[in-house]
Amino acid sequence: MSKKNKIYWFEGVTEKGVKSLLTEKNSHLVIKSQRNRRVLVILMALGLVLIAMGSYWPTLKTNLNLPNGAELLIYSVTAIFVIISVVGGYSFLRISVRGIADAPDELLDERQIMIRNTSFRYAYFLMGYVALGSMLLTVTGPELQLFQSSGNDGSFVIIAVLFAFASMPSMVLAWRERDI
Amino acid sequence: MLFPMSRNPEEPVYNRIEEARATLGLSRQELADKAGVHYQTIGYLEREEYSPSLVLAIRISKTLNQEVSELFSLTPFKKGK
Repeated sequence: MSKKNKIYWFEGVTEKGVKSLLTEKNSHLVIKSQRNRRVLVILMALGLVLIAMGSYWPTLKTNLNLPNGAELLIYSVTAIFVIISVVGGYSFLRISVRGIADAPDELLDERQIMIRNTSFRYAYFLMGYVALGSMLLTVTGPELQLFQSSGNDGSFVIIAVLFAFASMPSMVLAWRERDI
Repeated sequence: MLFPMSRNPEEPVYNRIEEARATLGLSRQELADKAGVHYQTIGYLEREEYSPSLVLAIRISKTLNQEVSELFSLTPFKKGK
């Protein structure tokens, strides 16, 4: 008779699920490589910066004096890159780190608990810097208007910051942990 | 180092886990199962990239039939000893 699979409702994981994620058989997966995970983190960070820069797109396109076709092309290509890097990057990062990030302490050993806790602490500090930077930007940023249908829409900065908050713990953990 | 890994990077803990494990013919997975840790943690310990807690050091020492002081040291072990 198979052992009962304990469900951790708060963490949203099961005992067998976590153990399966942390087995050696998953180590060949592309996202299990630290190098690939770091590439994902860099792409995500770039995507988040581009989202925030969307707030300055009206000024930027005017200053660059782009023809209509080029303007649409640059905006579309950037939007596709941002969607792939941020949404795709976030999904893959979550898949790659959730074994440690979401697991309850009793399913992890002391090193895994330590690296998860310190990663989350670093992420907390980084989130503070991101919040401070975004506050400075919205206060001092030229011609930035929040939730306006025309002009430099500051809501892109807010969206980027919120997404950064949601993904920062996974980004730091994925960057730090060599073997997941 | 950005985001240091060790418990105390300024004072690493040297060990002879790999040597003792090889003597007993244990794989990393087998040692990990007996010591109650993940197999990758044994790798980190053997590469001296992670300093274990006292509890884990004692558990590993017992599993490898060694005294803690024979297996772990704050100074590098002399080769062949």
